[in-house]
Amino acid sequence: MNANVSSVTMYATDPDRAQSMDLITSLRRRFNGRYLIDPFGADPQLQDVLAPVVLAAVRTRVEHGERLIRNGPALLVSNRGLGVVEPTALTVAVRCEIGRRLRIVGVPDIPVLGDIMRKLGGVIAYPGDVGALLRAGHMAAVPLGSSWSRWAGGRPPLPLLVPALGYPVIPIAVMPGGPFGMPLRPWRVVVGEPLPIHSKKGSGDPLAAAELAEAARTAIDTLISGDSNG
Amino acid sequence: MRVLVTGMGGEIGTRVAQLLEANPEVTEIAGVDFVPPRRRLRRSEFRRIDPRDREKLANFVMEFAPDAVAHFGVYEPGSRLSPRLAAIYSHSCTVTALGAAARTGKLQRVAVRSGLEVYGRGRGRPGVPDEEATVAPSTPYGRTCLEVEAIAADLGRRHEVPVVALRMAPVAGSHVPSPLGRVLRLPAVPVPAFADPAFQLLHVHDAAQGMVLALLAGINGPLNLVGPGAASVWQAVRLGGRIPVPVVGPAWTLATHAAELAGASMPPHIVELLNRGRSGDGSRAVDVLGLNEMRPTQEVCAELFEWATVTPLHVPESSAISVKR
Repeated sequence: MNANVSSVTMYATDPDRAQSMDLITSLRRRFNGRYLIDPFGADPQLQDVLAPVVLAAVRTRVEHGERLIRNGPALLVSNRGLGVVEPTALTVAVRCEIGRRLRIVGVPDIPVLGDIMRKLGGVIAYPGDVGALLRAGHMAAVPLGSSWSRWAGGRPPLPLLVPALGYPVIPIAVMPGGPFGMPLRPWRVVVGEPLPIHSKKGSGDPLAAAELAEAARTAIDTLISGDSNG
Repeated sequence: MRVLVTGMGGEIGTRVAQLLEANPEVTEIAGVDFVPPRRRLRRSEFRRIDPRDREKLANFVMEFAPDAVAHFGVYEPGSRLSPRLAAIYSHSCTVTALGAAARTGKLQRVAVRSGLEVYGRGRGRPGVPDEEATVAPSTPYGRTCLEVEAIAADLGRRHEVPVVALRMAPVAGSHVPSPLGRVLRLPAVPVPAFADPAFQLLHVHDAAQGMVLALLAGINGPLNLVGPGAASVWQAVRLGGRIPVPVVGPAWTLATHAAELAGASMPPHIVELLNRGRSGDGSRAVDVLGLNEMRPTQEVCAELFEWATVTPLHVPESSAISVKR
């Protein structure tokens, strides 16, 4: 597979690597239309401009950051609450730890808000799009179904894991740093061991995907409970 | 190999003929269209036939008896024909040319032009569809492309010949007659007020190259053919130094008429592209055909504006006459 089908570096912007550019240059390039857009609608330059604000607002502490893959496609599976804070914390963690742009799967397909979220790196929860993201060599994150309590992984999104077969899948637990689930201290992002790969790329086997989903949920539950006990 | 190129008068059809001429495997090339080819062709035989003249077209195809058909007789609305005529020409050319080619019994492979429009845009449809995605066209051109694909695939099944449908991103370039190109080159371009969708383009050379490679390789099934990377609507407008005019809801009807008056026809698939974008996953074509050096979308987009910046030379009449002498 060609890993860089949609990853074209232009206008000194890399669609996969986080960068920083001074505001004046950014504004000038934006006025002249000389900025990068990717086929999923992401706007890396806008992300780089907004990054300092988000990084100041959402602080994270990453454990086992060395388990994150620095090059090529990978799928992160993480727990989440009801809002967008967990995905944001995860994006910040990946950006700070390995300097990659994370693509969060699960943007609502609605006007305006959906468009803004896509610009910031979100992707609509459609299995084909997850496959396309991975084939293009991006790092994507699929949150488990949202749950009220932040202390358990939700329902695994089975159809979204079918295209991920054959690619590295990494379970991640995202937890608020403060007591009783309050985000008073930096968010804790615990990276688990990558799950073993049993299938070939593009095999599309639903049973293998179900096994992968169960393995991911168990791994995340273990990360969360291991953490709350310790 | 004897290759028939329908739609040879178009920019892509002509390029396909040029590429086929350079290939020693191809012994004879014949082409039909309702307009003559856009470049000089050395060993292709061209016949100017209106696709609606079914008998003439069928006779020509039967006489030539092709081994392979590169079917470019799929006309984009607003490119060289009005939307109504484009659908009639596409249907007629597909049915007649492919049917006649199959009747000779010599047909071994077929490649047809299609577009990313077959996937449609909107709710329940993927943002970057791959070839496995459900086809659900949401515009007349998309439905035409799907119809052409269905006719060709059915013919392939009945005669057991491989049929490849190339679902191309909008083909653009400085000299390609494309409705999107004309709209983006207007001095002021209508853009969606509250969205900035991404779209992908395909360079005319890559379109022709992809078609020839897919035809010669005898591939069966659909293939997305898209330029790497993407551009967004607002960005494309600014890249050309044009003024974006934000438009909302019903005002698009007004914008369509205004653009039409200014010389740029805006058929539904172009309005859809401006509002909802158009992308596709072209990784399979890259793998299968080895197309590793395709022109990125943003380069194609920049090329759209190149010829517009050519400054006319104002030569004084006296010197012009003296040169003539």
